[in-house]
Amino acid sequence: MSILVVLLSLAAGAYALAVIERWAVHGHLSLTGPAWAALALLGRESLLARKSDRLFFELGPVLLLVAGLMAVAVIPLAPGLIITDLATGALFLNAALAYVLVALIMAGWGPNGAYAMIAGWRFLGQFIAYAMLIVMPITAVAMRAESLSTVEIVASQEQLWNVLYQPMGFILFVVAAMGLAWLPPLDLPDATGELAGGVEAEYTGVRLAVLRLARMVIILALAGATVTFYLGGWLGPWLPPWAWSAIKILVVAAAMLSVGRYMPRIREARYLALSWKLGISLALANIFVVGVIALVVPI
Amino acid sequence: MTVQMIFLAFFGGAAVWFGVVVFRTHSMVRSALALLFSQTAIGAMFLVMQAEFLGVLQIMMMATEMSIMAIFMVMFMMDPGGLGGMDMSHQKRFSIGAGVSAAVVAIAVALLSDWGPAAEQVVDAEAQTRALGMELLGRSMMIFETAGITILTAMIAATAVAIPVQNLSSKDDKEASE
Amino acid sequence: MTLVGAREGAMSGIRRAVAAAMARDLSAFVLPGASVARAMGLDLSGSHLRLVGTPRHANLLIVVGPLPPGLRDAAAVTYAQIPRPRAILALGAGDIAPLPDADVSAPLTQAGLQSGLADLRRVIAAGAFRADSGEFNAPALEVRVEYTCPMHPEIVRDAPGDCPKCGMTLVPRETASDGHGGHGGHDMPPEDRSNPADHAHAGHAEDAGGAGTYTCPMHPEVISDAPGKCPKCGMFLVKAEEGESHGHGHRHGHGHGGHGHGHGSEAHGAHGAHGAHGHGDHGGHGKQQDHSGHDGHDGHDGHAGHGGHSKAAIDGIEPHFMSMVELTEGQPRSSDGLQMDWIEVPFGPFFPGLPAGLRLTLTLDGDTVAGSEVRSLVGRAELVDGPQMRVADFVERLAAMMPLSPVAYRTLACAAIEEAASVDPGHDARRGRAAAVERERIASHLNWLAEFGLQSGFLWLAARAGALQLAVQGADVAGIAAQAGAIRRLTRRVQAAPLMRMRLRRIARIGKDTPASGPVDRARGGGSDARTGDPTLKDLGFETRVRNGGDALARLRLRCDEIAQSLDVIAAAGRIAVPQVPDVDRVSGEGAARIETPRGAAQLRVKLTDGRVVEADLDTPSDVNIALVETVTAQQELGDALAAVASLDLSPWEVRG
Repeated sequence: MSILVVLLSLAAGAYALAVIERWAVHGHLSLTGPAWAALALLGRESLLARKSDRLFFELGPVLLLVAGLMAVAVIPLAPGLIITDLATGALFLNAALAYVLVALIMAGWGPNGAYAMIAGWRFLGQFIAYAMLIVMPITAVAMRAESLSTVEIVASQEQLWNVLYQPMGFILFVVAAMGLAWLPPLDLPDATGELAGGVEAEYTGVRLAVLRLARMVIILALAGATVTFYLGGWLGPWLPPWAWSAIKILVVAAAMLSVGRYMPRIREARYLALSWKLGISLALANIFVVGVIALVVPI
Repeated sequence: MTVQMIFLAFFGGAAVWFGVVVFRTHSMVRSALALLFSQTAIGAMFLVMQAEFLGVLQIMMMATEMSIMAIFMVMFMMDPGGLGGMDMSHQKRFSIGAGVSAAVVAIAVALLSDWGPAAEQVVDAEAQTRALGMELLGRSMMIFETAGITILTAMIAATAVAIPVQNLSSKDDKEASE
Repeated sequence: MTLVGAREGAMSGIRRAVAAAMARDLSAFVLPGASVARAMGLDLSGSHLRLVGTPRHANLLIVVGPLPPGLRDAAAVTYAQIPRPRAILALGAGDIAPLPDADVSAPLTQAGLQSGLADLRRVIAAGAFRADSGEFNAPALEVRVEYTCPMHPEIVRDAPGDCPKCGMTLVPRETASDGHGGHGGHDMPPEDRSNPADHAHAGHAEDAGGAGTYTCPMHPEVISDAPGKCPKCGMFLVKAEEGESHGHGHRHGHGHGGHGHGHGSEAHGAHGAHGAHGHGDHGGHGKQQDHSGHDGHDGHDGHAGHGGHSKAAIDGIEPHFMSMVELTEGQPRSSDGLQMDWIEVPFGPFFPGLPAGLRLTLTLDGDTVAGSEVRSLVGRAELVDGPQMRVADFVERLAAMMPLSPVAYRTLACAAIEEAASVDPGHDARRGRAAAVERERIASHLNWLAEFGLQSGFLWLAARAGALQLAVQGADVAGIAAQAGAIRRLTRRVQAAPLMRMRLRRIARIGKDTPASGPVDRARGGGSDARTGDPTLKDLGFETRVRNGGDALARLRLRCDEIAQSLDVIAAAGRIAVPQVPDVDRVSGEGAARIETPRGAAQLRVKLTDGRVVEADLDTPSDVNIALVETVTAQQELGDALAAVASLDLSPWEVRG
């Protein structure tokens, strides 16, 4: 039952996000726009590039979608409203999202096109930048909750949300999450002006629709993770828990989608340098500070 | 129990099958990713055996490692398209011999070891994770820290060795062009 | 009403709904490019269109203005890459062959665009599916299938059959009759992969012809007279002739897949460049592990001329097993010493982040540019069409040849003709003209900012600068004054945007000694500006702006400075007057004029005989700056290289054809 509810809310969330994305990227706010776009996309030819690695070409988008759905499975929307409450939920989220990389490499390699291939490998470079900064802030979150279970992590923020308890970790996690979801300004794998769509460049029709849906699910999963780890999940006054989850997730997702509009993209080498020289130092400091606070003043 | 056995056998079979694909395929990238999925299947076997933390960790780590391996293979192995007829096996006779003898030894160890009584009830995942953490930061701390530092040193050393000395390499180039 | 590019299938209930959805959701790919459309005064962003960066994601091709002949083949390839159902909207385009006839044609105005889109929506809703949709064929797309024997590559036949030498079944192989073509490809089973031998070595051996010996890349002691597999490891044998090797091993098949927005007939040109690049050091493939996967080179059978020298394998000595040193020996080295595969990737002529009409072919070593080749596909033709031209025709022709800065070139033509005819336009006209050119400079720099925003994913900038450009160009003094505040805010905000310094600093550095023109020169401390010393502009408070640094960031800042300066000049001038064709009466004489166009100084010399233009010679800034492309892209990361090319603000229309 809760699986069905979560999946339905996921579908609704993905649609809402598509509306927001069109607004952010193309400047038109249209509630029916994504529906028409999806229908139109399904009616178009689904081309297969010549000499493609067919297996990877077909599997890439599907694996991307599966990875996104797996990540969503451990995100609680309300007490009891979670697909599976794993004891290692926070780690499982990482494991699922690690396959985003694999899927993009497959999708980039598959069509045997230079733009897509470069895009796929670029994402690998980007991965090395964001990977540690996904895991290390989560470590600090788990330290406070004394558990890897996402439900426990939300419960641990009853007194004070983690965004205030460990603001440094929050910033690092959001930037890393934007790298993971290849959102601008870290959208190297599908940079329109540099690679003409990159990984997406050779996909058309139904396959492109799956790819776009998977992207939305991944953004939602990461927004959900941000809310779960830092913004107190379903916690909040007056409104029912699920409403708080929905509002927070959509606001975080919208913010992550639109911030890239206001700055140029940076290449993965610069992101890598920033992440490792500055980011990892800060993340270690964050773990240390959280450890000290947790031992000295337990909130 | 039976359901668990069926899944265990399924993932075990998948791991072996992907392992075979590594050598049967003709593309570097497919080979690397087949190895990845073989390892993922092993992670799934951990999950079936209720070793949740280990399983999730295996599944997570392998995705990264094998992807990085794939790019190195593509960069350096001169099979650009990856679509051609590249043979993944080399030194066949020796490899077969080594593979068969290793398998025999592994099976022999599996059969001849005294594994003790099978555990009927596994502690829950939370307790397992806690126990694992206690182990890693207690009795085994020295071993893991040493291993970690050693691997790091090896990586730095390997990188240092791999960077060609500028003068030497230009001398090599000159020789090659002559 | 039916669509030329309809998708096959009967118009049934569900398809009707899909067609209606398609009519609502128009994703357009613009030819030659969005920047050209804006320069022509079209506001595409306000038309409820989505502009996409690749034809694969479009369902509509908008052709803006007359399509230059050099772009037509590329346009056909682009059209073929659009998945069906696909439509063409031609705005003042005239003849667009080899593209099929436009589904809707309209005049090149904003109203024409709106009515054209409305018509197009009706056409798509009614005819997106058709039972008998035809194939689209163009010479640029033709792919010839030939049949070759896996064992005897010298056997090439036009029809399937058996090999006369060994009786094996011949396998198909595609060659483009005129370029790559292959991208029109619609669902095709990847059958070629099942025949690895097909593209393993066939092409090479064919080049070499005649007899040779074949050896295993891993086991040099294996030597055979015929191609085949190594008995030790099963790898395909490679041809090993003393002193000769098929030396292009590292250029592999990915180049072709680049769906390069118009490979068209350029494919051969691109390939010819291998030789031109002169990578004489490519040899040594005798030990290379594998040569398969060359399928991208369909049609490029002419690999000869690449040869290098391979060291003859020493008999009886096994090379180090899988040794990197052995495998990469003799391959070109990157600056970082890592040996990687090189691929050749075409960008343009319709690439979203580059000037429309520019074809940039980058040889990529990983994601680093190892070599580049640039050329304009819309290069200008002779200025004087025929033995002589009427003055008015000449002026109009020059202005029409430069769609990105028509006013500046119109002014240039008028000034040169007036000089030749010794006519003085008068003080007021000079001020009005200066202001008109400055107005175009603002619009052009804003256009550049919009393109840069698009390329770098800075979408707010792309939208805002594009909108301001449309508002400024064609506006009068009051109209520009009304926008001045917004424009100044934009230039300040761009320079202060987060990550901007990190994105552009130290990219595309140009030293003092390299010839450069216009903002590119002034951004490295150079002082070249045709406006310096012009009394009219001096009167209006003009001073030459200079920035130091010489990198892409300095160019961005200099252009922002110039926008502010031009706003001041226009305010001081008080009137804007695009020059009228000078009235010259049967005079003869020669004259020259020099004008600072938005991209740099352009000089025109004309010769009049009896009031007609008989000779004209034009030097443009892009002629100078296009030579910088190779310097600024060398050893840059791909994204940086593209930003570097964009920072030069080239106009392919200005480049000599």
